[in-house]
Amino acid sequence: MTQGPTEPVPVPPAIRVRRLWHRFGRFDVLRDVSFDVGQGEIFGFIGPNGAGKTTTIRIMATLLEPTFGRVEIEGVDVSVDPERVRRMIGYMPDHAGVYERITVREYLEFFADAYGVEQREVVDAVIELTELRNLSDRLVAALSKGLKQRLQVARILLHDPQVLILDEPASDLDPRARIEIRDLLLELRELNKTIFLSSHVLTELSDICTSIGILERGQLLVAGPIGEIAERLQAERAQAAEARAAEATVVAPPFGLPDLAGATGAGTAVTPSPMPEPQTLLAPTPALSPLTTPGGAPVPEAARKRLRLRVLCDARVAAGALSGGTGIHAVEPGAGGALSLQYTGDENFVAAVVRHLVVSGIPVVAVEPERNELERIFLEVTRGELS
Amino acid sequence: MSTEIEVPVPPATSGSFLSRARDQLGGWWENPNPVWVRELRQSARLSRTPVVLAVLTVMVTLLISSIGGMASVSARPAKVGVALFHTFFSLAFLVVTWLGPAVAASTISSERSGRTWEALLLTGIGPSAIARGKFFAALSYLSLYVVMLAPVGALPFLFGGVTATEVAAAFLLLLLFGALSVAFGLAVSSRFWNQAAAIIVTLIVAIPLSLTGYIVLGPVLSIAVNGVWPVVPAGPPVWLPTAYVRADFGFRYFVLLVAAPAFSLLGPVWLLYELTKANLKDTSDDRSTGVRIWFVATTPLLIAMLSSVAWLSAGAEWFAASVGAFFVYLIGVAVLFAGEPLGPSRRVAVHWTREGVGRLQRFLGPGLTRANTLLAVFGLLGFALLAAAAHVWAEVASGTRAQALGVGAVSAHLAAFFVFLVGLATWLRSRSSAAGPPRLLVLAAVFVFGVGPWIAMAIAGVLAKTDSALLMLAAPSPAYAAVLYEKVAVGTLTSHAGIVPAAVISGALLVLSGLGLSLLGKLRIQRRVSEERRWVEHWETTFATEPAPGPDAPAP
Repeated sequence: MTQGPTEPVPVPPAIRVRRLWHRFGRFDVLRDVSFDVGQGEIFGFIGPNGAGKTTTIRIMATLLEPTFGRVEIEGVDVSVDPERVRRMIGYMPDHAGVYERITVREYLEFFADAYGVEQREVVDAVIELTELRNLSDRLVAALSKGLKQRLQVARILLHDPQVLILDEPASDLDPRARIEIRDLLLELRELNKTIFLSSHVLTELSDICTSIGILERGQLLVAGPIGEIAERLQAERAQAAEARAAEATVVAPPFGLPDLAGATGAGTAVTPSPMPEPQTLLAPTPALSPLTTPGGAPVPEAARKRLRLRVLCDARVAAGALSGGTGIHAVEPGAGGALSLQYTGDENFVAAVVRHLVVSGIPVVAVEPERNELERIFLEVTRGELS
Repeated sequence: MSTEIEVPVPPATSGSFLSRARDQLGGWWENPNPVWVRELRQSARLSRTPVVLAVLTVMVTLLISSIGGMASVSARPAKVGVALFHTFFSLAFLVVTWLGPAVAASTISSERSGRTWEALLLTGIGPSAIARGKFFAALSYLSLYVVMLAPVGALPFLFGGVTATEVAAAFLLLLLFGALSVAFGLAVSSRFWNQAAAIIVTLIVAIPLSLTGYIVLGPVLSIAVNGVWPVVPAGPPVWLPTAYVRADFGFRYFVLLVAAPAFSLLGPVWLLYELTKANLKDTSDDRSTGVRIWFVATTPLLIAMLSSVAWLSAGAEWFAASVGAFFVYLIGVAVLFAGEPLGPSRRVAVHWTREGVGRLQRFLGPGLTRANTLLAVFGLLGFALLAAAAHVWAEVASGTRAQALGVGAVSAHLAAFFVFLVGLATWLRSRSSAAGPPRLLVLAAVFVFGVGPWIAMAIAGVLAKTDSALLMLAAPSPAYAAVLYEKVAVGTLTSHAGIVPAAVISGALLVLSGLGLSLLGKLRIQRRVSEERRWVEHWETTFATEPAPGPDAPAP
């Protein structure tokens, strides 16, 4: 008997959310939210205050019943089998309370009993993992906020859940405690746990998350791996830029703005002037001079600022116009007229750069400080395009 | 980590009820409720507990010693002992019935307001275990006070006038009242998310109830008991322990002094426990079966107890009063059931199918039609049995046929109103999406029908004229049962020929209205339930096949 080629069995997502709605009174807190979180992923759930993050999380944690829609954890519907789901998840709420008048060990033993975990070694293992061994006989009331948070993480690991749901795990923590929590989460990722966490600190999320979901006013704006989302947005921007470039060839800028392409009247059809040849722009303009500190040393990396520009022509042309200029450390042309610039200087310098490009006949349509990628995605999808 | 920790699966329960109960008790003994253990640990570390206990003990000791010292100057020691006994246990009753609810009221609500509740709930420990743990924790804390006060409570025994058995019985009763108080506080606590609000509401209700209970169950009831056993003094507040020692043992003793008090205390404790459990569950969970089982178990016991007490009290008016008490009980249950869900939720339905739940268990599960059918059947049977008991009593004992007819008339009149009320509750709930409004409206209907006609007649000046035939205008009121009893059993109001026909007409109208409303409500419930089922089935299919939203998925 011959066997055909075995097709890979699709791994079901650890968390599956479909068409989730939740209504408080007449207000729709969640509106048709759907996304998947794959096995072993760290999924960052981002959104402004009141976006519905905690509501989504509470529904996932079986603490709130959705008005409509379905949420499955490891294939189990949270609305139908909350008890089963509770055994599969570890949930750490935002600003969770602790029992103050018992010791760390008693606290964990209580939860171990409540979870039905009979082996005492489990408590020891969790204490070890969360590095609470030296504090096990200390009263919970005497712990710092960061240690209490770590105790909460220990609590949710007692029954060895496959999925961890953390609502703002680093909120109100000092930088050291934040780093410790982040390291702990990375350690848990090594244990192949699926981690779903919400946070306001985007840089922290970008350090550890494999995927993100951005929620605003109850609607999921985007979800998926950070890289994929960034590419998708980049492609959309390029598409939009091209469309605008095409538009600019036939219509003069409205409202009497200076016609960068050389037209004279507003609102009239114009013929654009031919794009300057790259070699004519490669020469540095006299106003821009070499890149050193006043002492003559090269400008350090940390002191450099980043700028993103978008131009209505080939980005390489614009890069050529700027390369080697005073205060400019690096110019990286990208797709769709995007241009990344490293420079040293103030806002006047940025204005000079833009002026230089415009004078050189390169239409500039966007100028923005370059951000962390996750921050950029967040701003772009929550407030429309950055231009 | 994944390989290190294994969560044990609890063994499946099987075997007879007795063996399961034995296993359960053994389990409780070997693995005490973790909530209880944790609460005890926390209480033990509370620094104010020993201070409060010491202050209370010193104050009560000083009070009792002062009273004893002053009284012993002029009175015999035995009399002083009796006075101290009543003083101490009256105070202890108030402490237990005020402190118990207050302590219990803070237990669940404090977890919620302290934001530890979610963590506890997500352990999967279950509402029953949480309710039991909280109950025993609060009762243990309360018992600590009782134990601390025990030496002071034993002082009267040294003076004489009361026996050691009476003191011990009084302490036992104190603990039973403590259990009832704690169960009440816990039930209130389970409804609240704010600790302060839970304590305030609990005390606002508990203090008047406690004072009323003290007067009614104490001096007032002692007068009635004195009529049965003259050796039991009439008037003192703490008479039951004395009655245990002095009354003749027999069937009457068992029913009136053991069964009736135990039922009166433990029946409400059970109900409050079930309500607490229900309040701790999600709205989609089965919150009905526990309360329904309580109703099925206690209603026959209540009927048996009421008829036995009436029989042993040897008075037709006791039977009429029993019918009235049963009616009040049914109103309470009707209000409770008016908040039932229309049918089992999707969650409950899936579990029923998965676990192969039988018809009886489904009948006791969520569903308004089932609940009110059960209520109507048990209620009407209860009225019939109480009337039959009065009839048999009149035949074999010293009652008259008129008295039996009077009790029958009261039963029929109240039964007619009860049928109307059940129909109204069904109809109101079928039109409401929440549990609260129908309950409030049912209570309002009871109030309007109960006292409305009398208020109207009082305003019109009809009540002042006791011989007025207009009295029959109050026929729709349940309170009209008293008029009916006067007319049929006692034989007064002879000039009012219209009283009975008015009751018959109003009863018939109430029954017809009740049945009509029941039918309308039932039809509406069926329509709503089938619509919801179709909707759920449609979306079940959609969700099962809906792919993951990709980058090109349309915007939500």
